[in-house]
Amino acid sequence: MSCVYIARRMDDGTSQVKRFRDGLRLVSMVVQAFAATTSDYRRLLDTIARNIAEAIPDSCMVMLRSGELLTLVAIHDGAPDAAERFRDDVNRPTPLREASISAEALARGPVFLPKIDYDALRTQMRPTTIERLRAGDVTGMLVVPLATRGELIGVVWVMRRGSARPPLDELDLEIVKDLANHAALAISNARLFAQLEHSERLRMAEERAVQASSLLDAIVENIPDMVFVKDADTLSFVRLNRAGEVLLGVSREEMIGKTDFDLFPRTEAEFFVAKDRETLASGALVDIGEEPIHTRGGVRWLHTKKVPLFDSVGRPRYLLGISHDITEYKGVVGELSAAKLAAESANRELEAFSYSVAHDLRTPLRAIDGFSQALLEDYSAKLDGEGKRHLGRVRDAAQRMAELIDDLLKLSRVSRTELRRDRVDLSALAHTLLAAHQRLEPDRAVEVAIADGIAADADPQLVSILLDNLLSNAWKFTSRTPRPRIELGATKENGALTYYVRDNGVGFDMAYRDKLFGVFQRLHPETEYPGTGIGLATVARIAQRHRGRVWADGAPGRGATFYFTLMEHHG
Amino acid sequence: MDERVIVLVEDNANDEELMLRAFRKSNILNRVVVVRDGAEALDYFFSRGAYANRSASEVAQVVLLDLKLPKVDGLDVLRALRADERTRLIPIVVLTSSAEEQDMVRSYCLGANSYVRKPIDFTQFVEAVRQLGLYWLVINRAAPA
Repeated sequence: MSCVYIARRMDDGTSQVKRFRDGLRLVSMVVQAFAATTSDYRRLLDTIARNIAEAIPDSCMVMLRSGELLTLVAIHDGAPDAAERFRDDVNRPTPLREASISAEALARGPVFLPKIDYDALRTQMRPTTIERLRAGDVTGMLVVPLATRGELIGVVWVMRRGSARPPLDELDLEIVKDLANHAALAISNARLFAQLEHSERLRMAEERAVQASSLLDAIVENIPDMVFVKDADTLSFVRLNRAGEVLLGVSREEMIGKTDFDLFPRTEAEFFVAKDRETLASGALVDIGEEPIHTRGGVRWLHTKKVPLFDSVGRPRYLLGISHDITEYKGVVGELSAAKLAAESANRELEAFSYSVAHDLRTPLRAIDGFSQALLEDYSAKLDGEGKRHLGRVRDAAQRMAELIDDLLKLSRVSRTELRRDRVDLSALAHTLLAAHQRLEPDRAVEVAIADGIAADADPQLVSILLDNLLSNAWKFTSRTPRPRIELGATKENGALTYYVRDNGVGFDMAYRDKLFGVFQRLHPETEYPGTGIGLATVARIAQRHRGRVWADGAPGRGATFYFTLMEHHG
Repeated sequence: MDERVIVLVEDNANDEELMLRAFRKSNILNRVVVVRDGAEALDYFFSRGAYANRSASEVAQVVLLDLKLPKVDGLDVLRALRADERTRLIPIVVLTSSAEEQDMVRSYCLGANSYVRKPIDFTQFVEAVRQLGLYWLVINRAAPA
């Protein structure tokens, strides 16, 4: 290549030898420049035009072929305004048959016109091009094909302007041919590189897409609810996840392409399809709270949500459904509501029972007491002392039974009434309750120590009954204690309050502490400390109703402390 | 001259007898008309059935009404009496065994003038009746008929 023309021209004059050397140096520089710009195709083309123009000089145009079209892609001229004349043609494809000189170069090799005869050119060139060449004072030109890897990819035009310098000669032709070969190779490489880059980008994009879609696949597959997709037009299944296969007992291969009518009983399928159509028509989510479905494992109940999936122009393309199996949940709800009904029925019975106790159980007692008294009054003369004492016992027993009935009713009322929480000032309440005891027994001197500001969020009525029971006990069981003392206080544990009522009365044996809160459980003979044995059971019931509890601490002869809480304690 | 009577609505014979005894012991001398169920009570007040020929001069000074009654219960009697122009101003004292809150609330809501629980202790029972008689027959001035 380059050495060919160097060898051929060895016998020319010294100036020619210098031009060889210059040309050789130039070629190697240009080739380097081409190589350096391979990755930037656009700049490469400009570099080619500029380097060839500067090497020859004066003007150089690079045209590339794409099929039967030829496009001027780069132009360079030492005088920028000369290049400007062709600026409009840049990037504008021309049919090859209208560019006869380029076509000839492509078909038969370089066209070399050292001295242009414009009249002769008229048949080969468009008048506008001739005009431009004339205007540029183009006196000679070289048109060399760009060929690489057996492919003709374009042509290079080199133009000599004016007549100040010698016309283009064979050496120029050789140099341009050599440069054109390198240029063609560089262009081809750049194209390959771009292609590679493009396909690499495509490959990476594809890989990312694959990764993204396999993640989505994995998500859909592993969602523990049934996920299915139906075609919006045919409503046949196009997708079903694993949970769906397990739920229905049908493999996706059996499912895909089928409709609900192929898979489920007719009425069920009609329901599903109606909901599908509703979803697609509304374009919004449809929530089906519960629907039965026949699976291979029997009837299951589903909570299903359906949404349309739209295509790029906003038409529903698919229907996406997610179904949560609520069969077990429904079973539990059913049991719960049955239990609730049973509890309500039991409550109604208790209500009726209590009503009957309140009205009917006391009436005979009144007769027993009343007629005993009538006997005592009307037949006093006929009864001796013993007879009168017996009648007195009858009356006492009747009254005692009335008390028992009343306390039992109170206990049952504690369970029956609705709990309404409110702020209750326990300190104030305790003062009021103890003051009432003091009024009934003005002679007793009891030291009262009530901490200030003890409050609770509790049912005012119930908590009043609770506190009354504890304070009454404290009052009662200190009746034989010298220097009796009753205390109300509260301690905070884990942010929740524990209240207590403490006395220094007779106390109790801790061995019996579990019996304290049972109904009718008494630890003291009634002759010593009167009571029905229902009070502490009532206290415990009230604490329970507040989700709290009650417990006691004490020792015989050393007093008792009753602790209670009025809400759930954690930790 | 109107005769001012006490109307006792009471189905229990023991309670009836104890009540009359308590009146006597409290020196309450007004005649006591005893009706033994809710339906009979309404017949009396609206002069129907067995009471169709009741004297118009017989005026109930106070009604002592039990709640748990055969046929028509006490609360329904109360409701019927308060709904009628002729009886809506008669003083009615609910006198019953129950201290259930709902019984009290319902009685007052339906227009009872008073709610008294019958004590078991006969001594207290007599005292309650004495005070009732004193209040409703002597101290209280009834609305003009």
